[in-house]
Amino acid sequence: MAYSDKVLDHYNHPRNVGSMDKSDPNVGTGMVGAPECGDVMKLQVKVNPETGVIEDAKFKTFGCGSAIASSSLATEWLRGKTVDEALQIKNTDIVNELSLPPVKIHCSVLAEDAIKAAISDYKGKTGAGKTAETAAAV
Amino acid sequence: MPSPSKDYFEFFGLQRRLVVDAEVLQRRFYELSRQWHPDRFGRRPVEEQNEALEATSVLNDGYRTLRDPMKRAMYVLAQEGFPIGEQRSKNVPPELLEEVFELNMMLEEIRSGDESQRHELESAGKHFLEMRAEIDGHLEGLFQRYDAAAPESESAKQALQEIRNALNKRRYIENLVRDVDRALNAELKPEQREL
Repeated sequence: MAYSDKVLDHYNHPRNVGSMDKSDPNVGTGMVGAPECGDVMKLQVKVNPETGVIEDAKFKTFGCGSAIASSSLATEWLRGKTVDEALQIKNTDIVNELSLPPVKIHCSVLAEDAIKAAISDYKGKTGAGKTAETAAAV
Repeated sequence: MPSPSKDYFEFFGLQRRLVVDAEVLQRRFYELSRQWHPDRFGRRPVEEQNEALEATSVLNDGYRTLRDPMKRAMYVLAQEGFPIGEQRSKNVPPELLEEVFELNMMLEEIRSGDESQRHELESAGKHFLEMRAEIDGHLEGLFQRYDAAAPESESAKQALQEIRNALNKRRYIENLVRDVDRALNAELKPEQREL
């Protein structure tokens, strides 16, 4: 199977790998996993409470190259977006950008779940957008 | 001859149980292999020949599935509406993800070290094998619990749910065991890892 250059690029040079303080009230953490392939993905966002803009995003993924590329791309996209804009990111956007083959679509689903989980965690901390949080919970 | 069932348990004439007697299963496999052997259908009508071919394929797939306790459990889970391949994160206990994440972090740290880390890597590998053995023991008990429960009952469903959780955890531990092995043998460079 051939992989797109973009997947290889993110796999070989993942962006924004790392971790932020989970207990920081401005940091939302999403931890998701896909047991069938043994992947586990942690994605964090740091939100400016004044503007609602995501100022930083970090990830750490243990899994296949497509899962790493999907979460790496997600952190790139998250930076500079508002929380509400971030919730608009769909797994299909990731599939298209990375030209993921059908068997790897679940990796992009995992990344979308991670974004939603991280934002849901942030919203839970601020107590804001409780209803949106429930809707977005994965 | 009646059309062969596509349900593996029915095909093998076994009760739907998670604990299966390996000897009985093997005996049934040999009997059915003889019964459906293509050579016996050489002079039969085409429909019967095709049926025999299909039966042989169900027979082989079924044997491969039923003789492996984990594959057998996954087969029953899928049949009972708990497919292992179509879960999303909400089906996975968050504590499990945390635990697996931490174990992976530990492994990565050890692996990025030099040869002096070898000993630590070996003991991590041993730890993962122990965890797997513990899960297998736990699964044993759950299999018996499922078999003892009335079909479709609440307690049967409860057991299946717990079996799925245990199999999820087992899958993660399997990967860790494999990663330790690879690191110890250094057979595969990271870029050769399946993308």
